[in-house]
Amino acid sequence: MKPGSYNFNFVGKGKIWFIISSVVILAGIAGYLVQGGFNFGIDFLGGTLMEVEFDREVSIAEVRDVMENLDLGNAILQPVEPNRFNESNRVIIRTTPIDIKTKNEILNSLDENIGINKTPLQDRTVSPGFGKKITRNALIAIGVSILGILIYVWIRFELRFGATAIFALVHDVLVTLGVYAISNREINTATIAAILTILGYSLNDTIVVFDRIRENTSMARKLGYAQVVNNSINKTLTRSINTSVTTLFPIVLLLIAGSPALKDFAFALTIGIISGTYSSIFFASPILVAWNSRFPKYKK
Amino acid sequence: MRNKKLHITIIIIFLAVIGVCLYYTCIKYTINSSIKLGLDLKGGTQIILKPTNVGEEGITAESMDKAMLIIMDRIDKLGVSEPLVTKDSSNNIIIQLPGVDDPDRALEIIGKTAQLEFRILAGSFISEEGLPVTIDSETGNLSINSEIGEVFLIDPKTGRASGKLLTDPETGDMLLVSPESETQDVIGKLSIKSETGELLLTDPETKEILGEILTDSKTGAASLVESVLMTGDKLAKASAGYDSNGRIIVSMSFTGEGQKIFEKITSENVGRQLAIILDDNIKSAPVIRTAISGNAVIEGIDSLSEAKDIALVLQTGALPVSLKVEESSTVGPTLGMDSLRKGLYAGIIGLILIVIFMNSFYRGLGLVSTIGLIVYILIFWGIMSGIRTALTLPGIAGIILTIGMAVDANVIIFERIKEEIRKGKSARISISEGFKHGMRTIIDANVTTLITAAALFKFGTGPIKGFAVTLGLGVIISMLTSLVFTRSILFLMAGLPGVATTKFLGVRMKRSNI
Repeated sequence: MKPGSYNFNFVGKGKIWFIISSVVILAGIAGYLVQGGFNFGIDFLGGTLMEVEFDREVSIAEVRDVMENLDLGNAILQPVEPNRFNESNRVIIRTTPIDIKTKNEILNSLDENIGINKTPLQDRTVSPGFGKKITRNALIAIGVSILGILIYVWIRFELRFGATAIFALVHDVLVTLGVYAISNREINTATIAAILTILGYSLNDTIVVFDRIRENTSMARKLGYAQVVNNSINKTLTRSINTSVTTLFPIVLLLIAGSPALKDFAFALTIGIISGTYSSIFFASPILVAWNSRFPKYKK
Repeated sequence: MRNKKLHITIIIIFLAVIGVCLYYTCIKYTINSSIKLGLDLKGGTQIILKPTNVGEEGITAESMDKAMLIIMDRIDKLGVSEPLVTKDSSNNIIIQLPGVDDPDRALEIIGKTAQLEFRILAGSFISEEGLPVTIDSETGNLSINSEIGEVFLIDPKTGRASGKLLTDPETGDMLLVSPESETQDVIGKLSIKSETGELLLTDPETKEILGEILTDSKTGAASLVESVLMTGDKLAKASAGYDSNGRIIVSMSFTGEGQKIFEKITSENVGRQLAIILDDNIKSAPVIRTAISGNAVIEGIDSLSEAKDIALVLQTGALPVSLKVEESSTVGPTLGMDSLRKGLYAGIIGLILIVIFMNSFYRGLGLVSTIGLIVYILIFWGIMSGIRTALTLPGIAGIILTIGMAVDANVIIFERIKEEIRKGKSARISISEGFKHGMRTIIDANVTTLITAAALFKFGTGPIKGFAVTLGLGVIISMLTSLVFTRSILFLMAGLPGVATTKFLGVRMKRSNI
């Protein structure tokens, strides 16, 4: 295959891509229902989180025993970078908000029974009310950026381009959230930032393709709109792939070798970038063609 | 030739900008300290406090500023280097304490409420020359030396001595004895309670606590007060004002239970002084003239602003607004440094992979993009260093993402150039066309990302803001670098021999085109 000489029929097979997207999104919804909702972190729910360093590798069961003796058996316990026996010398303990006294009881009890470094690696407490505020702010941020983007694309292109671009990014956000629901990964403020980044990235991708469609629209009279869109996707294909690859290099490295918090971030970005590239090629452009056949503005 | 001059000027401007950036990263700050690190990377405690409305004044800019000053004052006692107390857009107070790994101790000191106590004042310690005896802040004991002479416990209103200090020659204990008496009956023994550091007067035999020695904030004299009769929780309201004689006062009203207790205290102690004690300092000690039911006043205040401060403090604890802890977050230095190191490695290796990819795919153009990438990183680094915005963990992710976007701008243009060349145009015209078409795409694509960054900055909290800053900065710098700097470099290079070849530009021609 010679670069720049692609001629895939993306638009003609539009239905297949819609089905693939629908299946992935439906799987996400099913995952959401099966898992009973998202796994929200303390940023959203409020609570106390301590990352404790043990003197040796411990299993979660050992820590759970200690917590049960303190009547805190319902705490969420999570090994950090566990070995193959699911043991780790670092464990994240998440509870409802607790006071200093309970905190010290936990630390003392863990120290007596297992042996720990008395200063937690991290120690966070978020009040439940503050979590609600963060959620509200995140939703406002998403809403404002979607609105801003819609207006910008409307001005620079056409309303149908703007609306389609929004469809594409809603697609990407749904796919990412779906993967989070299925994998039951924790959603925290960093995830929200990652999702917002995906919005930006997905749009970036979509607009590059749209820009080419806009440029080639004059040829619609001769070739038909579907063919123009298809040609535009093919012309920008190398760019789409190369950009995704170069962006993914450092992000995948973060996913492999980053600290747990960076891994979380990289995870959302990796899914988002793959989905964003996919949606700009296989999802947004066919919608544009479908829109035009429903409400013809250019020759079909 | 005019164009050539323009491109050279642009490159010189960029070199100058890079020079300024290097000045910040290498000379003004050292490379290691060039970028300010957020607490999630260097370790430390962040506390977010939300003001809740209490008192008549409510949450005003003034009361918030006052609260922040008081918090700053208290943090100074923690001995933290470079503490930061700021206010966010929704009036939350954000306290950042680098290196502090015990959030609870910090919270205790920052969020303590003032302790208001009512006690009977027995007298102040005055030397025979009439000078006040103070409490030594280091030892917690009375600062008495041989030069002072005899020290008496003086009733400040009547001026009569009710006791005298003596040092027990055998035990070295400091004793309070009755004054001018031949027998020198021992009233009590002064000792410091080791757990609390309180200076107490105890009965030498029964060990019963007779009183505590506190500082009178007016005179600075160590003064003896009797046991606590009532505490501030019985106070309903306090306000500053003037009495009928025009003197500045703070009037206090009590809860129902408080009124009864206060009436009992005043009726049993007519003629004595009631010490009003705030945070172990005697603020005022009015003489009880009659039994008081209902309201009480603090007199002897110098200015109305002081009266207002006292009223506020009485009303709300020491802070002029009540603060609720919304979030306290501590990251140990090892964890943060681990994140930073891993993020750096991923970034550097990722960059190397990008460079290899770009050079093998775009040949000579890849080299240009590598130069562009280096320029991008130097400028980004310099600006981050210059504006002193803290780099947070999501910020690292933001930087890594913007590197991808910086490369994207090059990819869009290079692909376009190759396309034009395949159409059979000359290298020079292809470069010009590539930029012309690419420019519009890049601007449209990046403005939408900027919109997202702006929304994140406006509505995001904490570390998300750091992410928004790096994202926004990265997008702007990458646009400038690729659309201005790289462009000039390419145009200049297009004039050099060997550059305008398809080999240099990495184009494999279709046979039909050759």
